[in-house]
Amino acid sequence: MSTKETKKKKTRQVWLNVLPDNLWLKVDKGVSIWEALEYTDIDITSDCGGMGTCGKCKVKIISAVDPPSAEEEDLLDQDELEQGIRLACRTKINHDMVIYTGEEGEEGDFLKILTTSHVITDMYIPLSQIDPLVDKKLVILPSDIQKDGLSDLDAIKQVLGPKYRDLRAPLTCLRKLTDRLKETAFQGTAILHEQWLVDWQNESKADCGYGLVFDLGTSTVVGKLFSLNDGNEVGVTSCLNSQSRHGADVISRLQYIKDHSRGVARMHQLLVSDLNLLTEHLLKTAGLTKDDIFVAVAAGNTTMQHFLLNLSPIGIAEAPFSPVLTDGLIEKAADLGLKMHEAAMLYTMPMKSGYIGGDLLSVALASGVAEQQDEIILGLDLGTNGELFLGNGKKLLTCSAAAGPALEGAKISSGMIAKAGAIEGVSYGSHRLKYKVIGNIKPRGLCGSGLVDLIAILLHLGVIDDEGLIVPPDKQTVKKLTSKVVKRNGVYDFLIVSAKDSGSGKAVYLTQKDVRALQLAKAAIAAGVETLMDELAIGVSDIDHVYLAGALGNYVDPLSTVRIGLIPQVDPKIIKSLGNAASQGAAMVLLAKKYWRKADQLAHFIQHVELSSRRDFNEHFIGHMYFPKQNAW
Amino acid sequence: MSDYEALMEAVLKGDIKTAVAETQKAIDAKDNARGVLDNGLIPAMDEMGDRFSKGAAFVPQMLRAAKTMQECVKLLQPLFAEGDVKSKGKVLIGTVKGDLHDIGKNLVAMMMEGAGFTIIDIGVDVAPDKFLEKVKETNPDIVGMSALLSTTMPAMPETIEALKAAGLRDKVKIMIGGAPVTEKYATQIEADSYASDAGSAVAKAKGLLGIS
Repeated sequence: MSTKETKKKKTRQVWLNVLPDNLWLKVDKGVSIWEALEYTDIDITSDCGGMGTCGKCKVKIISAVDPPSAEEEDLLDQDELEQGIRLACRTKINHDMVIYTGEEGEEGDFLKILTTSHVITDMYIPLSQIDPLVDKKLVILPSDIQKDGLSDLDAIKQVLGPKYRDLRAPLTCLRKLTDRLKETAFQGTAILHEQWLVDWQNESKADCGYGLVFDLGTSTVVGKLFSLNDGNEVGVTSCLNSQSRHGADVISRLQYIKDHSRGVARMHQLLVSDLNLLTEHLLKTAGLTKDDIFVAVAAGNTTMQHFLLNLSPIGIAEAPFSPVLTDGLIEKAADLGLKMHEAAMLYTMPMKSGYIGGDLLSVALASGVAEQQDEIILGLDLGTNGELFLGNGKKLLTCSAAAGPALEGAKISSGMIAKAGAIEGVSYGSHRLKYKVIGNIKPRGLCGSGLVDLIAILLHLGVIDDEGLIVPPDKQTVKKLTSKVVKRNGVYDFLIVSAKDSGSGKAVYLTQKDVRALQLAKAAIAAGVETLMDELAIGVSDIDHVYLAGALGNYVDPLSTVRIGLIPQVDPKIIKSLGNAASQGAAMVLLAKKYWRKADQLAHFIQHVELSSRRDFNEHFIGHMYFPKQNAW
Repeated sequence: MSDYEALMEAVLKGDIKTAVAETQKAIDAKDNARGVLDNGLIPAMDEMGDRFSKGAAFVPQMLRAAKTMQECVKLLQPLFAEGDVKSKGKVLIGTVKGDLHDIGKNLVAMMMEGAGFTIIDIGVDVAPDKFLEKVKETNPDIVGMSALLSTTMPAMPETIEALKAAGLRDKVKIMIGGAPVTEKYATQIEADSYASDAGSAVAKAKGLLGIS
């Protein structure tokens, strides 16, 4: 088709038309769809970050379809290949192309309001302890001070008294100060952060202060709006972490910044735009403007906190996993691109190590473990990586167990994140399985809590044996679900829903390999717990409380976690969900200054146990690969 | 040649007692020690590798089977005449620089040992220089590299480059593996082979050295 002349040109460009957004991109011939969409707002699902191994970045080619690559032949089924489904990261754009990136019936689920259940209500700060990071003081400047020829700032200092002897103010505030004082007739609200006068507002603003808390999850970012006067949560919003297009887990994101010279800036920008989206949404809901927000506290894993600060976390990618810093920071929000009041401050939680982040410290802070002198607390933050802590105020240990993303549904054949169409819970009754599907629509796949529930029930029914084998139908003792067990590739898989009943038109299976992936993930967590128990020289019966947090910990059925051996064989009654504990710890910091100091003390007190170099961890890991034999139900 | 079905069954089950008894029975019946190994124990481990690749068997079963085999080999050892058991080849294996994961690598090493290879395991976080030094020292047939983190995979081509620079690249076959590693990556970095799991690693190694 191309003439000799066009071939001579250095780079020929072609058009890519992306539906349903109807985006037109002019791209260099030969780049992949993945590369073409990288800097657009189009979100493509991927676990591997464009390496061609996860098979999830599916797009439909509407225009002429080229033959599939070897990876696509492997990762896509025949139906898909025939329909023109290809992998974005494997498909080169060699001619003008039209593609469709949406799923059929896709709902706008990128921004959804979550209602969180606060199981432990005493985690809230009592009204008497409220002492927010930003103070608002009603200040009346008497006319005699005004006459003295004192500077505006000195006048305010004098009224505020000796506590604010060193009061300073940023230029942004000083430039407007004279006008503001006049506007308010020298009676107004001084917004104070430490020894800084941040702003001078109307008198009426004195009793309406607000602050934000951000939980920077690898998969989901949560924003919460708090009233600084009474400590009440005013609103909660969450969205998918937009960095997800560059990989489902932290390691894939680190790979991305290793491969892209401006990768850190890009990750920073994606995260900040998510936070701005959440902020905007929360403010709109509460009828506020960005100038009402003077402070925010962010907690996330060490990699996410680095991205937020536009710092490179690349050291975390390889042993010895060193981050740039672990201290908590107080920075100007505007410097990071966060849309709040121009003088607003952002607090980032202290961290412990490359894999023990501000999120785990927030969970530990919220659990009150450091205040506990006698009882022993086990806390688990179950997300993409599993972090845990064990102990009390006498000795407290923490470790990170590389569980991999199986517990969040990634690396599972029908795995998906917790969005519409995901099976989030499974129960058994009247000889059949009942699936609880997010959004009450036909199921498309399994998210972490659904996966754990399903495997727990199949263990209970003997469909899976304690070694993790899906038992052939003729060998099962309880014959209730044998019709769902089908032989594929020399082993047995469990059919969850047939193609006809599934939301994607494709049958949803729990494969034998999925069970193996879960076994590895839960063994890593269980081995982490056992290693810490050994270090403290305690047994399972010495554990008094188990607190679950994180994306999975929040929703999973505690009974199921015990049944599959993800957590030790404790009495299920002592297991409590902390709700979104990472944001709760950060909220405590927002609402009372003493918790900022406590968070810092906690970071120094807690002892980090590095598992990856320990032989006993490996032994425990292998020892926990099978499922517990006993049936707790 | 006697029928080793009971022995194979016991090894697959990881039933050390029965496997050892079966081995003893074979010895008492004056079976050739080499035959017990080649027609009983090694085929049992091959079967285990195959089951593992499919997901039908899992890590603890594989470890148990390997342990069972080792116990049986202990009985046979004194009966082997000099040169009776020839090593299938020498394999130098390690986890690459920056990576501390060793369970996968250990499984590969164990399965290869079970299949009759000589294994030199140089541990985890092995820098290219260390690989090079050990290749010079031990003169292996195969160099196996493992990485569990996608971020440490680039240490594989670095190691290959180091071998090239030392003029040793053509003296060895290079195999790679680990969760994020793919066949394509192996081709891209010019490794000789990729194995997706411990079960298939044995077959791939045999293929590389042209043995069945």
